Amino acid sequence: MLQQLVNALLLGGIYALVGVGFSLIYGVMNIINLAHGALIMLAAYTTFWVFQLYGVDPFASIVISMALFFVIGFILQKYIVNRVVGQNVLMTMVLTYGFELIAVNFALYFWHADYRAVNPTYAGTGLEIGDVVVPYIKLGILTVAIVLTSLLYLFMTRTKIGNAIQATSLNKDAAQLVGIDIQYIYSFTYGLSAALAAAAGTLIAIVYTVTPSMEGGFLGKAFVIAILGGLGNSLGAIVGGVVLALAETFGVVVFGAAYQQIVGYVIFLLVLIVRPCGLVGRRFFSEL
Amino acid sequence: MMATRLTFLGKISRPLRLIAYAALAILLGLIPFTADGYWVRVCTNFFMFVIMVEGVNIISGYTGYAALGNVVFFGIGAYVTAILMSTFGLDFFIALILAGIVAGAFAFGLGMPILRTKGHYFVMATIGLNELVKQVVSNLDSLTGGGKGISLPIPSMPPRINYAFFYFVMLAIAIICVFVVYRLSKSKFGYGIRCIKANEQAAGVMGINTTMYKALAWTLSAFFTGLAGGVYAYWQTFIEPPVVFDVVFAIKMFLMLLLGGQGTVLGPVIGTFVVEFLGELIWGHAADLQLGILGTLVIVVVLFVPQGLVEVTRNKTIGRIFSTRRVKEPQPVEF
Repeated sequence: MLQQLVNALLLGGIYALVGVGFSLIYGVMNIINLAHGALIMLAAYTTFWVFQLYGVDPFASIVISMALFFVIGFILQKYIVNRVVGQNVLMTMVLTYGFELIAVNFALYFWHADYRAVNPTYAGTGLEIGDVVVPYIKLGILTVAIVLTSLLYLFMTRTKIGNAIQATSLNKDAAQLVGIDIQYIYSFTYGLSAALAAAAGTLIAIVYTVTPSMEGGFLGKAFVIAILGGLGNSLGAIVGGVVLALAETFGVVVFGAAYQQIVGYVIFLLVLIVRPCGLVGRRFFSEL
Repeated sequence: MMATRLTFLGKISRPLRLIAYAALAILLGLIPFTADGYWVRVCTNFFMFVIMVEGVNIISGYTGYAALGNVVFFGIGAYVTAILMSTFGLDFFIALILAGIVAGAFAFGLGMPILRTKGHYFVMATIGLNELVKQVVSNLDSLTGGGKGISLPIPSMPPRINYAFFYFVMLAIAIICVFVVYRLSKSKFGYGIRCIKANEQAAGVMGINTTMYKALAWTLSAFFTGLAGGVYAYWQTFIEPPVVFDVVFAIKMFLMLLLGGQGTVLGPVIGTFVVEFLGELIWGHAADLQLGILGTLVIVVVLFVPQGLVEVTRNKTIGRIFSTRRVKEPQPVEF
C-alpha cells in the first residue's frame, strides 16, 4: 500500500507538469490548446533521438528540448494563434487540433508507429527504504518536476515579464493601458507552455515508450488535471496532477487495471458538473 | 449571426425548378448503377457525413454549444446496432431505429447535467464523455467484444446491390435530416435555440425553457448521428472502439461545418461536399499524409473562411445560384 502511495506521488510529478502548461495557456488566453499532447509527443521524440544519436542523458536534454519548444511555441503563437485569440471556443480549439494532426502525421511519416524507449544505464536501480522501492529515475523525475514548477512560480511572481503575464490574464485591457505588449505576452506564454510540455515529454520518454499515438492519452490527462485543479489555475494543476495520479493508482487497485482511464474521466465529468472551478479553485471566470 | 434561407435554384421559375429537382433526383438515383464501386462508396460516405454534420449543426450551429465530442453518438449508434443484430438477431431497420433512440436518450439524460456547463467547459465535457464511453466500451468484453471489436452479420446480397443498398439508406436519412433541419430553422423551437445562442439569459427571461430546449436540440443531434453510426456499422460489418469513437472524425465534422457555415441549412451539405470530394482527390494519392492535409485544411479554414462558404458566396457570382434570403433573427436584448 505504501509502495502504491509512493508510485502515485512519483507519477503525480509528471502529471503536474503536463497540466501546468496546459492550464497556463487557458489562464492567459482563454484557449484550450489541443496541441498540448502533440508537443509532449514531439518533445519525447526529441529526447529519444538526442539520446540515441548523441548519447545525451535524458535529464540533461530537458534543457535542449525546453529551449527548442519555447521557440517553436513562440513562433506558432506569433504567426498563427494570435490571429484567432478572442474568437469563439470552436475556432481556437479546432485550430490547435490542426497543429495536433500535422504533428502526428509528421511523426508517423518519419518515425512510423514503432515503439521506442530511452534506456539510460541507471534505469533498473533504485533506493530501498524498508519494503518500499523508489527507483532513482522516478525520484529524479519528481525532483525535476518540483524544481520546474517552483521556478515557474518564482518566474511568475518575481520577474517583470511574469508579472506582465499575470496582469494580462487578469485584465487584458488594463494590461494594455499600462503599456504591456499583449501580442508579445501571448507569444511568450505559449512558448513557456510549450517548454513545460517539452519538459513533461522528456520525463515521459524516460519512463514510458514513445509512439506517435501517445499524444491522445496525454491530452486527455491534461484535460482531467486542468479541470481538477481549476482551469486556468497553473498552480492548481499541481494539485490536479497529484489527485489524478492517486485516483488512477488506487482505481487500479480497487477496480482492476482496465479501469485506470475510466476512473480519471468519471472524476473529470463529476468535477466539471458539480464544481467546475476545480477542487481548490474559486469562481473566477464569467463563463462558469 | 446571420440566418440564411437557401432555396436551391430559387431565382428560377417554379416549373424549371421542379425539372432541376427531378434531374438531381435522377442523377442521385443513377449513380449506384452506373458509377464505379469506389465512387459509390465515396458518395455513401458523403451522405454519412452530411447526416453527422447536420446533426452537429443543430447543437453547435444553431444552439451555440460546440459539441466537439459528438462522435460519441456515432459510436453508440454503431455499437447498439451491432449488438442488437449480432447478439439478439434483430432485423437491420429495427436495430437502426433503436440505435438512434438509444443515442438520443443518452444525449437527453446526460444533456441535463452536462449542458449546464458552457463554452470551453462544455466542449471539454463532450470530449471527456467520448473518451469515457470509448474506454467503457473497450472494457465491457462480454457485451461489446471489448478492444477486439465486434462483427455484424454480413448482408447476403451481391456486392453491387449491397453498395446500392447502403447508398440509398444513407441518402434517405441524409435527405430526412436536411429536411428536418430546414423545418427546424423556421419553427418556434428553431427560434428558441437560436435565441439561446444569441443570449441565453435573455432567452430564459423571455420564457424559453432553456435547459429543455438545449437538451432536446442535443437529443435530435444525437439521434441523427446515432442513425449514421448504425448504418456505418452494418455497412462495414466490423467495428472497433478506436474507429467509431475517433476524435479525428469529430474534427472532420467541424471542419465541414465551419467551411460550409454554422447555423445554415445547406452550409453543412456544401462544406461536406467540398471536404469529402476534394479530400478524396487529394488523399487518394497521398494516404500517408491524410492527417497532415486535414490539419492544414483546418488551419486554413479557421484563419481565412471562419464564417463559412455560404456567407462568403453571398452576393457574389456563385452566390447568385443560391438565392439567399435573410430570416429575421431574435436580437439579443440589451439590459
